[in-house]
Amino acid sequence: MVCCMQEIPWLRKLVTYRDEVVLEGGHAPAVPARRASVAAVISNPWLGTGPEQDLGEAVTAIAPTLARMLTDRLVDSLGGVDAIEAFGKAALIGSAGEIEHGGALIHTPYFGNLMREFLGGESIICFADTRADAGQPLVVPLWHKTHAATRSHYQTVDVRVSDAPRADEIVVVAAASTGPRPHPRIGDRSTDPAITSLTLEGAPS
Amino acid sequence: MNVRKIVTVVEEIRSEGGRPVSPPAKVAIVAAVIDNPWAGQGFVEDLGPGIDENASDLGALIAPLVIEALQDEPEAYGKAAIVGLDGEIEHGSALIHTLKFGDHFRKAANATTLLPAVEKRGPAGVLFDIPLKHITDATIRSHHQTVEVRIADAPHPGEIVVALAAAAQGRPQQRLAALSTEQ
Repeated sequence: MVCCMQEIPWLRKLVTYRDEVVLEGGHAPAVPARRASVAAVISNPWLGTGPEQDLGEAVTAIAPTLARMLTDRLVDSLGGVDAIEAFGKAALIGSAGEIEHGGALIHTPYFGNLMREFLGGESIICFADTRADAGQPLVVPLWHKTHAATRSHYQTVDVRVSDAPRADEIVVVAAASTGPRPHPRIGDRSTDPAITSLTLEGAPS
Repeated sequence: MNVRKIVTVVEEIRSEGGRPVSPPAKVAIVAAVIDNPWAGQGFVEDLGPGIDENASDLGALIAPLVIEALQDEPEAYGKAAIVGLDGEIEHGSALIHTLKFGDHFRKAANATTLLPAVEKRGPAGVLFDIPLKHITDATIRSHHQTVEVRIADAPHPGEIVVALAAAAQGRPQQRLAALSTEQ
């Protein structure tokens, strides 16, 4: 059981979403996968500050805790670190904050390096961010946690918190999948023909 | 019964009204996206055979999953049927408004009351609110609550989303006088 019962004053809510595709196109996936996103709703620590504000201090105070809480729930929801094959991250920034505030929480080593470490990954973590009103959904991109160019693992998972972010909040998200898309069949870099604009000459434009 | 997808959502509320909620308030929802058993058949007068074929299996599938997702004893619960645009709301009601469906959850949760429900028709991604009430006494005011759900790509026009929700407690910061104080 995931736990962190200690009180964290800047944390309002955590929402874990998981889906499992049983049938896609009417057929069961050859390799069934579960996809999950975990969202933390937090107070924006930089509310009322301007672009001159240094973001470092709050990042070091908050981001490592977020990385631990979010990945703990991902691992719990998806059946362990070894089961996780793809990952991604996201931030939804309430309207009173800057996009940069979300970036500060997900793009620095205090979150990204720890998330990669806790999920046993090596790849850069792909991401999405947006400034949003409460209840706005966001599609989070995922790719393979050790071989980012693995085409079968290019996929997305939805995240949405019904009442967040409020104007003064940020929703920070970690997401992962235990496998590929339901029926991956579009080849890979190793099987692609060499396509350039010259090889396609004569194609209608 | 053709299940396309199973969705699990767990909410943990850590603070409300600016005050901590300890232990965190937890609500879990599990939804199964299934083919509408009556899709493409025009107006079906007798829904009984479709109910017999599907309702109990659906309850048996979802009830243990929602209790597992909550990781706690349910104190409040509710249910939902969201019908894709080509179906009748009656199709969703048929699947969830039968003891064959609800008894799986009632037994698993040691519950006795009727499950409050939402039934509606909508496109994929439609928002729906699941009402929850106390599992043994539907007049316990502290446990009247609602949880909002959205599944990005369901229900398709020929599908139904059937969901169960469970809460481990009443509302966070609940502080209304009991019903008995007004009687």
